[in-house]
Amino acid sequence: MGSYRQQPGAPSSEVRKDGKRVAGKQVFPPPGSGGSEPQMRPRDLDFIPETVGGKEAKPAGDHIHDRDRTGTVVGKPIPLVDSNAKVTGQAWYGDDVRLPGELIGKILRSPHHYARIKSIDTSRVEALPGVIAVSTGQDAPNRFGVLPVTKDEHAMAVEKVRHVGDLVACVAAVDEATAIEALSLFDIEWEELEPVFDPKKGLEDHDEPIHWRGKYHLARTNVQKRVFQEFGDRSLVKTPHASSHGSWTMMGVHHGFTEPHAVVAHWDPNGRLQLYTPQQVPHYTHRALSTVLDVPMHQINVIRTFVGGGFGGKSDPFPHEMCAALLARKAGRPVRITFDREEVYWINRGRHPSHIDVKMTADDSGRISGFDIDALIDGGGFASFGHVTSYYNGVLATAPYELGSFHYTGARVWTNKPASGAMRGHGAVNTRCAVEVGLDEMAESMNVDPIDLRLANLLPPHSRTISGFRITSNGMREALERVREGSQWDKKFRQLPLGKGIGIGCGFFISGSGLPIHWDPKNFPHATVHIQVDMDGGVTVHTGAADIGQGSTTAVAQVVAEVLALPIEMIHVRSHESDTSPVDLGSYSSRVTFMNANAAIRAAIGIRDQLLKAAWDMLGYHPNVLVLNDRRIYYKHDPAIGVSYLEALHKAQADTGALIARGAYRSPPMGGVHKGAAAGLAPAYSFSAYVAEVDVDVETGLVSCTNVWAAHDCGKALNPLAVKGQIIGSCHMGLGQVLTEKMVYGRTGHLQNANLLEYKIPSVHEMPHVEAIIVESSDPEGPFGAKEAGEGPLLPILPAVVNAVYDAIGVRLRNLPLTPDVVYAGIEKHVKQNGLEDAEAIEPPRLKHGPLQSVLVARSDEHRERDRLRQRSEDTSAYVNGVLFGFDPDRPLAEQVDGWREADEPLPEQLAELGFAGRAWLKKEQRHMGGDD
Amino acid sequence: MLMPPFELHHPSTVDEAVELAASLMAKNEAFDWVAGGTDVLPNYKWRINPKPHVISLAGIEEAHALSSRELGCMVPLSSLTTENDVHPLLVQAASKVASSLIRKSATVGGNLCLDTRCFWYNQSEDWRRSIDWCHKADCGTGADCRVIPNQNTLCVATYQGDLAPNFMVLDASVVLIGPEGERTMPLVDFYELDGMKKNVLKTGEFLLKVVLPEEAAQRKGCYQKLRVRDSWDFPEAGVAASWVPGNASSLMVASTALESIPRLHTEQVEEHLTAGDLDPLALAKIVQKSVKPVNNTALPPRYRRAMVKTLTKRALLDILE
Repeated sequence: MGSYRQQPGAPSSEVRKDGKRVAGKQVFPPPGSGGSEPQMRPRDLDFIPETVGGKEAKPAGDHIHDRDRTGTVVGKPIPLVDSNAKVTGQAWYGDDVRLPGELIGKILRSPHHYARIKSIDTSRVEALPGVIAVSTGQDAPNRFGVLPVTKDEHAMAVEKVRHVGDLVACVAAVDEATAIEALSLFDIEWEELEPVFDPKKGLEDHDEPIHWRGKYHLARTNVQKRVFQEFGDRSLVKTPHASSHGSWTMMGVHHGFTEPHAVVAHWDPNGRLQLYTPQQVPHYTHRALSTVLDVPMHQINVIRTFVGGGFGGKSDPFPHEMCAALLARKAGRPVRITFDREEVYWINRGRHPSHIDVKMTADDSGRISGFDIDALIDGGGFASFGHVTSYYNGVLATAPYELGSFHYTGARVWTNKPASGAMRGHGAVNTRCAVEVGLDEMAESMNVDPIDLRLANLLPPHSRTISGFRITSNGMREALERVREGSQWDKKFRQLPLGKGIGIGCGFFISGSGLPIHWDPKNFPHATVHIQVDMDGGVTVHTGAADIGQGSTTAVAQVVAEVLALPIEMIHVRSHESDTSPVDLGSYSSRVTFMNANAAIRAAIGIRDQLLKAAWDMLGYHPNVLVLNDRRIYYKHDPAIGVSYLEALHKAQADTGALIARGAYRSPPMGGVHKGAAAGLAPAYSFSAYVAEVDVDVETGLVSCTNVWAAHDCGKALNPLAVKGQIIGSCHMGLGQVLTEKMVYGRTGHLQNANLLEYKIPSVHEMPHVEAIIVESSDPEGPFGAKEAGEGPLLPILPAVVNAVYDAIGVRLRNLPLTPDVVYAGIEKHVKQNGLEDAEAIEPPRLKHGPLQSVLVARSDEHRERDRLRQRSEDTSAYVNGVLFGFDPDRPLAEQVDGWREADEPLPEQLAELGFAGRAWLKKEQRHMGGDD
Repeated sequence: MLMPPFELHHPSTVDEAVELAASLMAKNEAFDWVAGGTDVLPNYKWRINPKPHVISLAGIEEAHALSSRELGCMVPLSSLTTENDVHPLLVQAASKVASSLIRKSATVGGNLCLDTRCFWYNQSEDWRRSIDWCHKADCGTGADCRVIPNQNTLCVATYQGDLAPNFMVLDASVVLIGPEGERTMPLVDFYELDGMKKNVLKTGEFLLKVVLPEEAAQRKGCYQKLRVRDSWDFPEAGVAASWVPGNASSLMVASTALESIPRLHTEQVEEHLTAGDLDPLALAKIVQKSVKPVNNTALPPRYRRAMVKTLTKRALLDILE
């Protein structure tokens, strides 16, 4: 198998002898090549019997898993397999775990924004009757953090507290009242330090930076991470035909999951730690526990309880998990810690408060000549996932559009606030909103329809983005066309009366991070699944995939049922304990369905092959002509000749006992070699387009979203019911961020609304009607063609609403959320600037197509055919970002144009013109300043 | 979140309740009254001024009285319906309070006696410790007000009840009862401009019922409420207006959620009517000028003040229709 087709300019033989990839020359492996079997399987065949839907349409031609379809359950809407437990109240969440002799743990939290702990005296706490164990930071000096490169957390403050609510000490007592009383008995001597709240201040030098990174510390600033990326020919943006420039302020938002954090720790009689926790990523907790407690990983069993919502907020290893373990070790009894809601907000890890600046330009044929993005993000007190977020804020804007050039500067700073982290749509949401609104504005200045502007600038399927991502399946065009039709866009856009508006937004997201956080993907797979089938015929599947409500357990059960042609009730997924489940990286980066289901399919094939071999022995027909169908294996051309599933199973077990098989998945090596090239790499990407309709009360500024047409390309909907649920849920969460949700830090830097009344999540009453439209582009690498549907669908709702508000009132708003006071202030300013009598006199914007419109329509018509042929693999020529600008995809772009640049550091002459976050590049690291402490 | 311990008392008559209060006062024991508990109990969980004793009014039959003219303090908001012969304005206002679930428990008396709210105050104990407490719940520290620092006289927490302005524009009176006996006063006089004191209730006294004059039935009213989420938020501003149709001099306008107390805008209405004919927009501007919200709720005070004009205008246009 040769190199993959969109690989530009370098045949696969041009790999360095040491196996590393050559700079500027990317080799893309073919899709379907991830995992333990490096080569693509031969593509078959009409193997699914017609009687069970075998002749269904194949939107992208044949698929590697066609041979494994049995028509059993994939593609059918089924309720999640754990829904009975949830709706009957029998699911056991973190706080439902009750072990005999349990103690209640409580955490003492910092009352200061930033302070040094000079001493802690616990003698009065220990003297309180009913207190069994007390622990402080001195008990656990080892640092941890979700990313190995930024371990900056302790179980409890060791030297300094870094925000109000930071952990100081903890106590375990016989009951909650005693534990609460005990918290008031700690005697602590503090030395208060000068806090930093404003991320812009974080770029400046500070007497006492919040963390110290030694020789890698950037001067004496609070910059945790800075990023510079530049691709393409920057000369293109010098003389734009049209442009847009928007400066955004986006407030931080929180996941708002229902279940507060809770943990139970217990050291069993053999001295092994049993830790019950609602975690999205049990494996990282497992690692962090081992580091912090100084206990080998095999002496720890992490038990994932049911998770009452995560959305990224339960994906860090958490200090309270360490606290529970420390207290339980000291007390010799189980310890349970359950958070109050304000503690949930104090541990945070929500979306970063951001200042984002987006400039974009277009040339006279309506091509996007450049994106110029600057993102300053407020990380709060700890690094968390911030290293990655700093990249995502830029690089996830490099598609779905074909760009002439791309320039990104980003910086994440520490401030004395609860730590930001990963949240649904990690790092991509805020920039995406700014970009999509910018496109709307640029379309307006060109007098063209913003949907046509997008349609004429899309990257096709099987292409390479400007920064080197491998795009495989791509349903962007279909998504746009379907929401345009569904919403009757052409009859409404720029034609609605004042106060009514309609807007468009698109999205692009990774389907599984291509680079695992903790190890080299060349050595370990991303996901592993074990399957065991015993005499009763039931199939036990062991996976570490953490079902956080998104339905990963169901997805795994579905694909196994599909391959083995068994009813889903016969598939039992065991995924709770690290003792029994193979290591899985957990539920983040929208990787679970893609990677776990891929691994599960491979494992199921292992079982199926054993069954078919047994049937071959019994029937005399080769497996290639045997069909699995509902607990029966039969000869393809005469269904009367066959054996039952159990007969074949028992035959297969005759010599070996229970059948076992394992399957693994790892994404193929991809991407460029520049610094940060791995950020945003994924084996596949999802695409979405939403149209939102809003009502704006021009006198009060109240915005209500009334209708959403939401098209999402998830490759293949394994379970359309779950996909629609994810689309609607994403709409809800995104609407919260765009309209009402914000973490409010008052003038004293305190989080003012750490509760569910004042942190305003929309209720069902505020929900619009959501028309969920599933687009299936059948991804060649995805399990049965599937891609993610959990995070990407959140992205487009924000810009769609912001653009719809503009359509309704003609005012561009760039402060999120659009609470009524923000909208009203915008209206007031507009009325004043235009000398209007009142808000009712505003004239909403109107569109008269300019000459460019027909150019765009013609080009998108042409591209529609181009995309169709590529999607169906009828055209397999290379395509890289740049072809739209006339470049040859088969030669490296740097050879074709003088100005072409791929850079991860600014040129000296660029330093003066960098945006806010870019100014971090004006500082030097300590090692370049002579400091090395 | 753990409820702090308290002793719950269940008197079954008014006399019993008053005696109970008197005996606790004699023993110098602090207590709170509780009706529906949707305001007091969440505050207790946050350890905001919890008391060792709580006296429930639920067992008192008189407190459940419900007719077109009399509404007992224990009447749940969900019972304020036209079927129960309640004034349409009160039905409208009650339907906008919190959520349908909360309205099943929340009561007329509780809503009128609602504790004032402030984002420096309605927080957990740990949170309030981090700001070193505030004037209203100072835990014995004599802490300053956090909304307007360096003023240590009045608490500026905001009264965010919905029913009060509506009862005011229906000219309602309240019946208070306590160890010193019963007294009746116009609702307008019930409130006292201080976020801590809130109203004229003396220790041991409680609001037994609200009484409407016969004339109230002829009044047509409208309540306009500003909030971020229609589903369950407190008002960020609220304006009620009513009149006997055709009779401009009967016009009454009241507002809520703008200061520590709800306010009846008698002076502003008089000022406007003496100047000429009723002009909703002009009157709305006068009402707007008379309120001074502070920064302690979800939306900024400048905006809330601006909205008073819009809400008043809309309420007036509605009733003048």
